Amino acid sequence: MAIASAAILCLATGLLVVSLGLGRGFGDASSLLLRACLSAGFGLAAFSVTYFLARVSGFVWLWRIDLAVFAILLGAYLLVRNRSTITVTGSNHHQQESAPRWLSVAFLAALGAALCSAIIRALGHPYGSGWDSFAIWNLHARFLYRGGVHWQDGFSPLIPWSHPDYPLLLPATVAHFWTVLGHETPAVSAVIGLIFTFITAGLLSSALDILSGRTSALLGGLALLSSPFFIELGTWQYADVPLSFFILATLVFLHLQDSPGMMALAGLAAGLGAWTKNEGILFVCALLVSRLVARTRHPVSSNNGDPVGRFSSVWLLFTLIPVLCMVGFFKRFIAPPGDLFSDAPTMLQKLADPMRYWAVLRWYGKEFLRFGNWLVLPIPLLMVFLYFIFGAKTRSRANPRLQASALALGLTLSGYFFIYLITPYDIYWHLRFSLARLFIQVWPSAIFLFFLKLGPELSEVAVREP
Amino acid sequence: MPHLSRMISRKVALWIFALGCLLSSARLLVDTPGVNQDDDDTRRRAGQRFEKLRESLPSRGVVGYIGRSEDGPGHYYLVQYALAPLVVDHSARHAIVIGNFPNVRAAALPENLKLVRDFGDGVLLLANEDAP
Repeated sequence: MAIASAAILCLATGLLVVSLGLGRGFGDASSLLLRACLSAGFGLAAFSVTYFLARVSGFVWLWRIDLAVFAILLGAYLLVRNRSTITVTGSNHHQQESAPRWLSVAFLAALGAALCSAIIRALGHPYGSGWDSFAIWNLHARFLYRGGVHWQDGFSPLIPWSHPDYPLLLPATVAHFWTVLGHETPAVSAVIGLIFTFITAGLLSSALDILSGRTSALLGGLALLSSPFFIELGTWQYADVPLSFFILATLVFLHLQDSPGMMALAGLAAGLGAWTKNEGILFVCALLVSRLVARTRHPVSSNNGDPVGRFSSVWLLFTLIPVLCMVGFFKRFIAPPGDLFSDAPTMLQKLADPMRYWAVLRWYGKEFLRFGNWLVLPIPLLMVFLYFIFGAKTRSRANPRLQASALALGLTLSGYFFIYLITPYDIYWHLRFSLARLFIQVWPSAIFLFFLKLGPELSEVAVREP
Repeated sequence: MPHLSRMISRKVALWIFALGCLLSSARLLVDTPGVNQDDDDTRRRAGQRFEKLRESLPSRGVVGYIGRSEDGPGHYYLVQYALAPLVVDHSARHAIVIGNFPNVRAAALPENLKLVRDFGDGVLLLANEDAP
C-alpha cells in the first residue's frame, strides 16, 4: 500500500512539474505518451531531490515533504493553468500521417522483444549486473538509507573506487522508496531501471511522432529498442540510461516549442542530467556553448520564434541554475574530489602525446559500430544508409535548432574524448570499460535528431506507400 | 554513394532498415539469460555470507579488511556493499578487521591480527592489537 501511494505521488508530482511547462494543450495519444514518460522521469527525479534535501536539512518526515512539494506544485499549476496553451512547433500535420502497417508490426515486435528481455533480466538479476550497480549506485543508496543522520559516511575518501563524487539522482530515488517502504528491497532499483529504459523509448517515439510524423516515430523507436546494449544497460541498474533520458528530454523540449515553460523544462532536464552523472555536467556545458554559438550564427532582433534567443535562455537558466547549485553544494560540501583530473603538468603531458589521440580516435571508430551490441548490421551503419537514400533533399535545408542540438551532442562527445586523453587510468582499460556506455548516453538523442532531420522525406514515403 | 538513392527504392530501404533492427532484437531475446541462470551472483550480492558478521560489528565507523591478494577487488567491494553504512577500508590498520577468504582456508594471518570469531564460509572477525 505504501509503495503504491508513493508511486502515485511520485507520478503526480512529475505530472505537475511537466504540466507547469507544457500547459494543457496536449490531447492525442502521442501527447499523452509524451506527458506520461516525462512525468515518470521528472517524478523520480523530484523524489531524489526531496530525499537529498531532507537528508541535508535533517528533516525526517519524508511523507510530509513529499506532500508539501506536491501541494506547492499543485497550487502553482492551478495559478498558471489558464495562462498557457500549447502550440507545438514543427510539423503538426505529421500527426495525421499513418505509417506503413508492416512498420508498426516491426516496431511492436521490437518492443515486445525488449520488454520480454528486460523483464527476464531484471528478475534474474534483482541486484543488477556489472560492478557499478553494487559498487557505486546501490552502495550509495544503502549509505543514504542505512546511514541515518550519518549518511555522509558513504562519501568517504577511504573508498575512492565507489566514486563518492558521483551525483545522487539514482541512489537518492532508490533510498526514497526504501524509506517509504520501511525496508530495503532490490526490486526498487530493478523497477526504476526498467522504467527509465522504457520511458526513454516512449519519449523518443512520442516526440518524433509529434514533431516529425508516425514513420519517423516508429523507425526511431525501432532503432532504440533494437539496440541490445541499451536494453541490457537499462536493467543493469547503472545511471547511464537515466542520463540518456534527461539528455533526450532536454533536446525534446528545445524542439517542441519556444515558450518560456518549455525552455524552463529544458533547463530543468539538463540540470537533472547533471544530478544523474558527472557526464551530465559536461552536457550542460555543451548545451550552453551550442546555444551561444547558434545565437552568434543566427542573430535575431526579437525573441519572437527565436529558438536560441536571449530570453528563452533566461528561462532555461531559471531552472537550470538551482539544480546546478544543488549539484555544486553536493560536490563542494559532501563529496570528495573526483578522480579524473590530476595535476596540470601531467595532464598537459598527456595532451601533448599524439598516440593518445590516435588511441581514442580508433576506439571511437570501432565503438561507433559496435556499442549497441547489434547483430550483423550495426544500426548507425543502417542510419548512414538511410541518410544516403533519404537525405539528399534535406541536406540543403538549414535548421538552426537542429544544428544547435547536434552541436551540443558533438561537444559532449568531444568532452568525453578530452577526458580520455587526460585520464589518470590506463587509457585502453578506461576506453574498454566505459566508452560504450558513454555512447549509450547520447544514443537516444542522436536517433531523435537523425529522424527529425529525415522526417519530411520519410513522411512522403508514408503518404505515397501506405 | 549519391547513386544509391536511384538504385534502391525508398520503401526497400525502409525494409532493409527494419529487418536490420529486428535481427538485433532477435539477438537480444536469444542472449537473454534464464531467470535462475546466475543464482550464485545474486546470492553474493544479497550478502547472506555477512549477515551474522553484521550483528557483531558497530553500527557505524570504519573497519579494516584483509583478503587473499589473488582475489580480485570484487570480493572486497561486495563486503563494503554488504556492510554499509560501515566504511570498509582495504587495510588492516584498524582496530576491527574483517577477513574474507571465500572458498579457501585462511592463509596465515599477520601476527598483529587476532581471530575474534570465525563465522564460517571464510568470514572472519579479527582484532588488530597494534591499531591506534
